[in-house]
Amino acid sequence: MQNKCTWLDTLKRGFMSGLKITWELSKIMVPVYFIVTILKHTPIINWISEGFAPLMGYLGLPGEAAIVLVMGNLVNLYAAIGAIASLNLTLKEISILAIMLSFCHSLLVETALAKKIGLSAINVIAVRVGLAVVSGIAFNLFL
Amino acid sequence: MLSILTEAAVGSFNSIKQIAFIVIPLMIVMEILKDLGILDKIARLFSPLVKIYDMKEESGFPLVIGIVIGLSYGAGMIIQSAQEDKLPRRDLYLLTYFLVAAHAVFEDTAIFVAFGVNGMLLFITRLIVAALFTYLASRWMKPESPFLENEVNN
Repeated sequence: MQNKCTWLDTLKRGFMSGLKITWELSKIMVPVYFIVTILKHTPIINWISEGFAPLMGYLGLPGEAAIVLVMGNLVNLYAAIGAIASLNLTLKEISILAIMLSFCHSLLVETALAKKIGLSAINVIAVRVGLAVVSGIAFNLFL
Repeated sequence: MLSILTEAAVGSFNSIKQIAFIVIPLMIVMEILKDLGILDKIARLFSPLVKIYDMKEESGFPLVIGIVIGLSYGAGMIIQSAQEDKLPRRDLYLLTYFLVAAHAVFEDTAIFVAFGVNGMLLFITRLIVAALFTYLASRWMKPESPFLENEVNN
């Protein structure tokens, strides 16, 4: 009986922690989704798209994907996900963004953590941006 | 305007639903692994691998935990083990390099899988690249590296 209870506790805790992640994600993702969807119906999206197209082209991404990278690095992965979901991107483009964001996201918060351990901020950011760019180019070439 | 808002409401709801279907089961599995002590066993099993980097074996445990669970928790644990196990500063740097490139690998991968991305590819690429990068850093950062001396005061 005791055993059964702990099992239920484990399941409940796992469920709640999954729910909590979903909730935390929703709080950030929904506003970003709304903002990007509204942007999509204004000329601003074209300015962003055209402005970033040359740079993003190296990564095999459309210009508007810059929104995803900016959101992911200044806010967090959940904001990036909101932008990915609202833009019309192909699976390959999402995969490229996914590997780039895996290496490099939430720079403000996570760099602060790395600094606590004693690494310099510039060091950590350079490594992460470098890994993101190289992996993005590689995914674009090989996928 | 109303149609735009409806589009955003329906779209974001569907994305959240997709993510929830992957993240909730994943977190249940993680919780089971934690409670059965399997996570600790996995961490102990893999921790000797850090010898490749000329790191103390004790550094392996916080590394594996950080890879699986995440940086905020991982950082706390690194600081704690640094004090308890007296980890050398070099180990701390290498640990952090590995972890900034690869942490919370299951959770982060899962949210992209919800959009159809190949999770295995993301997961493997991230781990291999982090491992290779840390290896390069470990060769460059000799235990008596002057770089370490400079950073000690931070």
